[in-house]
Amino acid sequence: MTTVATQIKLTPEHNARPGASVRSHLQDALPKIVLAPSFAITIVFVYGFILWTIYLSFTNSKTFPSYAITGPRAYQRLWRWTFESDPPSSWYTSITNMGIFGFLYIFICLALGLFLAILLDQKIRGEGVLRPIYLYPMALSFIVTGVAWKWFLDPGLGLEQTLHQWGWTSFHFDWIKNKDFVIYTVVIAGVWQASGFIMAMFLAGLRGIDGEIMKAAQIDGATTFQLYRRIVIPLLRPIFLSAFIVLAHLAIKSYDLVVALTSGGPGGSAWLPSNFMYEFTFKRNEMAVGSASAVIMLMTITAIIVPYLYSELRERPR
Amino acid sequence: MSAVATPARQVTGGISARTVNRIVIYGLLALFALFYLMPLFVMLVTSFKTMDEIQNGNMLALPQAPTFEPWIKAWSEVCSGLTCVGMKGYFWNSIKMVVPAVIISTLLGALNGYVLTKWRFRGATLVFALMLFACFIPFQSVLLPMATILGRFGRFGATLQNATGFSFGLGNSTVNLVFVHVVYGLGFTTLFFRNYYEAFPTELIKAAQVDGASFFQIFRRIMLPNSLPIIVVTVIYQFTNIWNDFLFASAYAGSGDVMPMTVALNNVVNTSTGVIEYNVNMAAAMIAALPTLLVYVVAGRYFVRGLMAGAVKG
Amino acid sequence: MAFLEIDGLKKRFGSVEILKGIDVDLEKGGFLVLVGPSGCGKSTLLNTIAGLETITEGEIRVDGRTINDLHPSKRDIAMVFQSYALYPNMTVAGNISFGMEMRGVPAVERQKAIDKVAKVLQIGHLLQRKPSQLSGGQRQRVAMGRALVRDPKLFLFDEPLSNLDAKLRVDMRIEIKRLHATTGTTIVYVTHDQIEAMTLATKIAVMRDGEVQQFGTPAEIYNNPTNLFVADFMGSPAMNLVPATIGGNGNALSVVLQRDAREPISLPLADAPAGLSAFQGKPVIFGVRPEALTDPEGAERNASNIATADCHIEVIEPAGSDTFAVTNLGGKAVVARLRADANIQPGTVTPLAFNLTKAVFFDPATENRIV
Repeated sequence: MTTVATQIKLTPEHNARPGASVRSHLQDALPKIVLAPSFAITIVFVYGFILWTIYLSFTNSKTFPSYAITGPRAYQRLWRWTFESDPPSSWYTSITNMGIFGFLYIFICLALGLFLAILLDQKIRGEGVLRPIYLYPMALSFIVTGVAWKWFLDPGLGLEQTLHQWGWTSFHFDWIKNKDFVIYTVVIAGVWQASGFIMAMFLAGLRGIDGEIMKAAQIDGATTFQLYRRIVIPLLRPIFLSAFIVLAHLAIKSYDLVVALTSGGPGGSAWLPSNFMYEFTFKRNEMAVGSASAVIMLMTITAIIVPYLYSELRERPR
Repeated sequence: MSAVATPARQVTGGISARTVNRIVIYGLLALFALFYLMPLFVMLVTSFKTMDEIQNGNMLALPQAPTFEPWIKAWSEVCSGLTCVGMKGYFWNSIKMVVPAVIISTLLGALNGYVLTKWRFRGATLVFALMLFACFIPFQSVLLPMATILGRFGRFGATLQNATGFSFGLGNSTVNLVFVHVVYGLGFTTLFFRNYYEAFPTELIKAAQVDGASFFQIFRRIMLPNSLPIIVVTVIYQFTNIWNDFLFASAYAGSGDVMPMTVALNNVVNTSTGVIEYNVNMAAAMIAALPTLLVYVVAGRYFVRGLMAGAVKG
Repeated sequence: MAFLEIDGLKKRFGSVEILKGIDVDLEKGGFLVLVGPSGCGKSTLLNTIAGLETITEGEIRVDGRTINDLHPSKRDIAMVFQSYALYPNMTVAGNISFGMEMRGVPAVERQKAIDKVAKVLQIGHLLQRKPSQLSGGQRQRVAMGRALVRDPKLFLFDEPLSNLDAKLRVDMRIEIKRLHATTGTTIVYVTHDQIEAMTLATKIAVMRDGEVQQFGTPAEIYNNPTNLFVADFMGSPAMNLVPATIGGNGNALSVVLQRDAREPISLPLADAPAGLSAFQGKPVIFGVRPEALTDPEGAERNASNIATADCHIEVIEPAGSDTFAVTNLGGKAVVARLRADANIQPGTVTPLAFNLTKAVFFDPATENRIV
């Protein structure tokens, strides 16, 4: 920039336009000026607010935020509740549900998604019809489809009644009303919503595999099963990673699924941490505890996402 | 990758193993198609049934005497909580929220992507990483401070209202939600455009610079006219996400006549006074689903591409 | 004073030095080719001339005016890009006139300029098409049209032919040369293809690792390469560079080449460069171009210093216009260029004529030419 300054003094052409240097500085800074509002918004409304939430979790805020630090009381309470299993505390229920839901949701979605993708990749006629059918649940709010699911799973109305009408009178399916099983109905609905999308990811991965590799493996005498187990699935590793990341963060963020399907389940037995946070903050006037639970959720996601983003975004040698 | 051709081996009876194989595959695929279609099917048929038919019939049966009554009732009469004015008002609430939020967040995302790829500066990757991480945070971790800030906006808006007779939108629930969705959608829109512009030939920018086009001229004349595919993807993705949002909506516009569609629908369904009218509930749910369903049917390809772009970074 | 002058130009990205002090100049109407392997900094140098990249140190002057800090559009240059960089959303006419539009030239004048350029390049029938509807060669023409319409002081070409197929590349090369001859503009041209460099340039700068290795006319570069890199890079097929030792005594020097399982060849040097006597008994790199190594009947008659030696022919490559024979000297495959009808069989031993007037010698330690 110093060369610019000397240049202006030396050449008469620049003297004729005294505004030129200001303008050229402005031109240089323009891209940053354009980006600045978005960046500032992100810093304030994401990172600033996260800090704010962390701060609140160390106060004794109840219905309204209080700004006097009172120490990690909220965390101590959560810690105590973590081991309060009989009768289970809401927090204990929430995190055990998270464990059950998270594991089953991710595992079944991956397995089912891969399975459907492999089936669809067998030169299927009508793939163009089937694919959107598998995928549409992702486009609808679960608040919407939850209405149907709730009805479908209701023992007095849905599947159970239908099968009774068809003559299978001993059939019994009341998980949605059972506090020990209600979380599994959330798993069913969650898998229904996301597995089609995971299928689409795997299908894209399968289509990206070099056909010559497949031909080579066939010439080497691999059976279809061996081909998939030894060649194809190992090649899909990056897709597994991406799908896992997507599912993990969807699982931790899941909120409307539980609300729409179970309204929290009998006695809050279907809660996930996100529901716990909402209920404690806005319904039970325990803002500090709600904030602390939000911080714990955030930490969990951070532990998964940050290494992933780091590996994706680090400058590759050119 | 093409499918693997299994050599046809003859089995007794003349049906080859390959045929059996195909039957099993198609059977499984059809079964899963039923699994995915079931809820939508149940919703659709039930919304055209009378209550009588629902109570006495099979939930999977087609309506015997299709009626539009539940739809009409859902649109203009159904009760959400204690007010019984139908879904139409909430539907428009959602529209009024979604349209500006989508336009603003898409435009900002395009500008951000343009700067982050074509006007790289030291630290650009860090800026992007910080914006990207915002896509993944559980929104619970910002819910409370945002509620406080929106409350302040509201009070400030009221002051302005008293002083100038105009609140400049501050304190208006729809404006609040537009703001919230723009803020927390920026990461996604920036990601989409950044990835798209990353592959956009930089030589075009250089050529335009040599031609004397300014920063904004390049954006308006060169970048935007060549961004149609990613604009479609972003708009659809944002539209779907914002329309379907429940958490922000219930936290910042959770009651009264300012509710967006999702919150109102949840209230309708959970209203426990009187007999539960399943057909009306289903019709209300269908009304809430129609815009996104329509988008999905018309431009599903782009919707999937958006989801993929959000999932597979580069 | 030259028309384009580049003095001590340096470019650093952080601690990495991309250009390490470039000094080049070009007369008005000249054709400067920057040539080198990828990553040598030639495109960066071109971009700094265009103003698309800033420079860390040094000065660039065009027609006596320093342009270091001017915006690209203010430098009175035009540029043709490797990918042509045609705006996909605009028609050919729109592409050609975009720069004028940006400078606020009225529509009527723009149309006149478009028509003029379209006539020169014979692209009149393409004006209303979009770039995606054009063939590679047509795109190339439009890109040149966009540059021509500006009538700039300086044309910059960034590997403009590398995306074309072989035949079209030759046609467009001739076209560019014709354009240069008829318009008399000053051109800076980047390429990694040394044939383009040889055929087009009035001056060549051979670059490597951000430094100019040699700057001169095509003939100078070809016949008198200053170091091993230039010798090896310029010319196709490449110059044979064979480890050898200098033998003989006093003024009668000779070059000794090892052969497999046979006694070495010793070739007497009639007019060896002065510096070579210091290398008696020491290893050197002996450089001889394939056309200076041929069958005795095809050897240049009036060359003053031709020596013949028997060589074991390993491979014969008939290329139509010539036949290339591969032998092994000093542990390296050596290519000789013979007449197309030379009657030589692989696996036989045949005399080959070395035109030692054209031979060059390099110091293996410094890799510089021994003069």
